[in-house]
Amino acid sequence: MEYTWDFKVILDSFPLLLRGLVVTIELWILAFAIGLSLGFAVSLARVSSRGWLNGPAIGYVELFRNTPVLVQLIWFYYAFPIVLGAQLSPFTAAALSLTLNTSAYCAEIFRGGIVSIARGQWEGAKAIGMTRAMTMRRVILPQVLKRMLPAFTNRGIELAKVTSLASLLAVNELMYQGRLLSSTYYRPLEILTVVALVYFVLIYPGSYLSARLERRLAARD
Amino acid sequence: MQYQWDFAAVWHHIDMLIVGLIGTVELALVSIVLGVIVGFVVALMRLSHRRALRTPATAFVEFYRNTPPIVHFFWFFYALPIVIGLSFEPFTAAVLALSTQSGAFYAEVFRGGIVSIERGQWEGAKALGMNYRAVLRRVILPQALRRMVAPFVDRSFELTKTTALASSLAYAELLYQAMQVNSITYRPMEVYTTIAIMYFIVLFAASNLMRLVEYRLSRVG
Repeated sequence: MEYTWDFKVILDSFPLLLRGLVVTIELWILAFAIGLSLGFAVSLARVSSRGWLNGPAIGYVELFRNTPVLVQLIWFYYAFPIVLGAQLSPFTAAALSLTLNTSAYCAEIFRGGIVSIARGQWEGAKAIGMTRAMTMRRVILPQVLKRMLPAFTNRGIELAKVTSLASLLAVNELMYQGRLLSSTYYRPLEILTVVALVYFVLIYPGSYLSARLERRLAARD
Repeated sequence: MQYQWDFAAVWHHIDMLIVGLIGTVELALVSIVLGVIVGFVVALMRLSHRRALRTPATAFVEFYRNTPPIVHFFWFFYALPIVIGLSFEPFTAAVLALSTQSGAFYAEVFRGGIVSIERGQWEGAKALGMNYRAVLRRVILPQALRRMVAPFVDRSFELTKTTALASSLAYAELLYQAMQVNSITYRPMEVYTTIAIMYFIVLFAASNLMRLVEYRLSRVG
């Protein structure tokens, strides 16, 4: 079968795809920034020796890690407003669920880093009169942040890919624009291939960086 | 706001959700089996000395690792039929998307396992007069497979969560069936909470079971 590619369609749809790309990046930055900070807070609860902090934190992390992201998105868009008593916009629902999902994974990365430091350092810092917050900031975090960097970059890459699911809630990001355009022009082959390439160009630098970082850290150890 | 929970409405349609759960498990199992085959072939290609085999395999892996799964689903369902001139069932398109995508990840698992065995063993076995296939089958794989269990389980776990995306192609898996039940009962809160719990139970049980297998295997060695 001979198929004639229509490249003009790609040129025509490019401005809309770029508009979608901007929304994708907005969603990505928002969810990653808040997800990281929230994840840190959750990891502190997770490493706490108090049961009422530790228990809910475990539940939170396991819940988000053991259900599909798409189900979480759908739940926050269709079910959560009922508890809340107010409708969420698709963008808000997507941003909220992606943020919480990312925070659960980031909490595990932070926790892994924190518990990798020998207990003796906590005790030593306490012995010289440092508070727990101070020990965390001056002793523990500076040692582990570098080691956690590849894991966080990987999380960032996963998140960038997962933002595409927001298209199923009709958030007008890249994938949504791609689907809309491919049904308007009836040219799914050209447009969906270009959408895949745009994602690749967006995400590949991150994973290249992460692979290099991992190699450098491995060489140093 | 006081919300009246009504799980009876969902319970009334539990048979539909069970059908969905079976659909999810079917899709996951078929895609895992095919994905492992794809992954093994791609891994051998990536490790080949011939550039003509290595380069396409690397491109395949990088493409799939750096583009979102939802794009693959839509591409296989809407775009590929145009190239080959015949259309797919949603199940077939979903299996194609999932097994090629996870194949790229499994390839990295296989490759990581194979290169983790020191070079000297290849040379030693070759010195004994074994050919490439015999070395791989009798010396390398038996050792490498044990090391690959953990990343293999992680990947299959991710794949099972990704099956939820097949709902966007109207394949009757758990999320799609939930959407149907929701449109009958208008009970999004109960329906989506129920399937989140179903996913959680299946995934949590599967991951703990596999962790047990992993532990057993690590003790055998």
